[in-house]
Amino acid sequence: MAADVAQPVASGPETRPAGRRGGALGARLGWTGLSLLGFGLVWAALAALIGSDELPGPVAVWEALLVQIRTDGYFGHLGATLARVAAAFGLAMVLGSALGLALGRSGALDRAFGGWLTLFLNLPALVTIILCYVWFGLTEAAALAAVAVNKIPNVAATLREGARALSRDLDEMAEVHRLSRLDRLRHVVLPQLAPFFAVAARNGLALVWKIVLVVELLGRPNGVGFQLHSYFQLFDVATILAYAFGFILVVQAIELLILEPWERRATHWRR
Amino acid sequence: MSGGLSVALRQKRFAGGPPVLGEIAFELAPGERAALIGPSGIGKSALIGLIAGLDRDFEGEIRTPPGRIAMVFQTPRLLPWRTLAENVAIVCGDPARARALLADVGLSEAADLHPERVSLGMQRRAALARALAVDPVAILLDEPLVSLDPASAEAMRGLLDAAFERTGALGLIATHDRREALILADRVLEFGGRPARLVSDRRSPLSRAERRARGAVEALHADWFGG
Repeated sequence: MAADVAQPVASGPETRPAGRRGGALGARLGWTGLSLLGFGLVWAALAALIGSDELPGPVAVWEALLVQIRTDGYFGHLGATLARVAAAFGLAMVLGSALGLALGRSGALDRAFGGWLTLFLNLPALVTIILCYVWFGLTEAAALAAVAVNKIPNVAATLREGARALSRDLDEMAEVHRLSRLDRLRHVVLPQLAPFFAVAARNGLALVWKIVLVVELLGRPNGVGFQLHSYFQLFDVATILAYAFGFILVVQAIELLILEPWERRATHWRR
Repeated sequence: MSGGLSVALRQKRFAGGPPVLGEIAFELAPGERAALIGPSGIGKSALIGLIAGLDRDFEGEIRTPPGRIAMVFQTPRLLPWRTLAENVAIVCGDPARARALLADVGLSEAADLHPERVSLGMQRRAALARALAVDPVAILLDEPLVSLDPASAEAMRGLLDAAFERTGALGLIATHDRREALILADRVLEFGGRPARLVSDRRSPLSRAERRARGAVEALHADWFGG
């Protein structure tokens, strides 16, 4: 929402010697592992207690996962979803950033189109999806467009704040020292926008993941969302959970291996 | 005057407001160092901005010497996400020269630190090194010594002297501190009134060497400003 984009908080740890940072990461992973192990135990106990197919235990879900991998193209569906997420996310980041920067730099544009942004920010995701499928058919392009349109207003609102917050002081500094346009972009403008890109990316990814599943459920012949829908009709909870866990794993891997290191790098200069 | 700075301002106002600067005319010869004094908020920074070409919205004519103009802002305005060496190198395009410039202002040890990790005095010196990286024919300084502790201010003063000697550039130094003006400048331009005008334009009787003596500066301060 527009309200919570105003102050992106750069939450990188301070620069530390590499060894200590690695140690802290190890400890964190250790605790997370223990905590998840606890969750698994509670889950297994509950499943055993209830003894129903509606709450399969970890072992049943693991077996369902193996069956899916062997017979129903588990990784193919996960890959299809991942590809859609990547495409829609990239599209939304590029278009949303361009739009947000334009609105943030030009008062006239902001007055003309700021209202549109509010409108699209509050348009329910499901409405966009349905309209895209109705207007453009049940196609891949319609699916990606639906996800991107849901996400673009968020990115735009965040980057608009970023553009508004650009420092006039540094602008003057660049002017006096006659920095080239490329140098200004590389050294002055983009580093100021980096925390805003990070916030947009993080919030965006969380949103895109969820919407992609709905888009697949409503009108795609493959992907995790499509599979969830199929197995929902069969009331096969174990398989549904098998897809859910694969999904969680991928999201977490992206968060830990891509987003966090990047954010740390972008804010390493802070005191 | 050829090769110098010539200011013939009729008026400067910021959008919708009353005029901030009135008629102001003066010329600085090549190599001359002038201080621009007056109370805070009177428009010294505004005039410096006009001369630097940051603001072209004014009535009048300002002619700058052919060549690059350096500006040292009141706040250092370093890029916090780049090291001191990178900050200078971005301007001069040569990492080795950037380090040499930083060494000139006593910052060879700190060259690879980010600005937020060094003191304000060091940031100011890095900003001076960056300004000098353009090989200026004129150096504009906005309150170069403000909010520095006495030792840092003294060090910075020495570096400014050295920078002027080395480059032979003309200098215009805006300051609210009259003693600082007398120490740094050959000539003192005083702003007063609203809109601001030149109320006095005095040439210092002290030579550059004489100005280094505290007593001589105090005596001149008493003579010009009383007390």
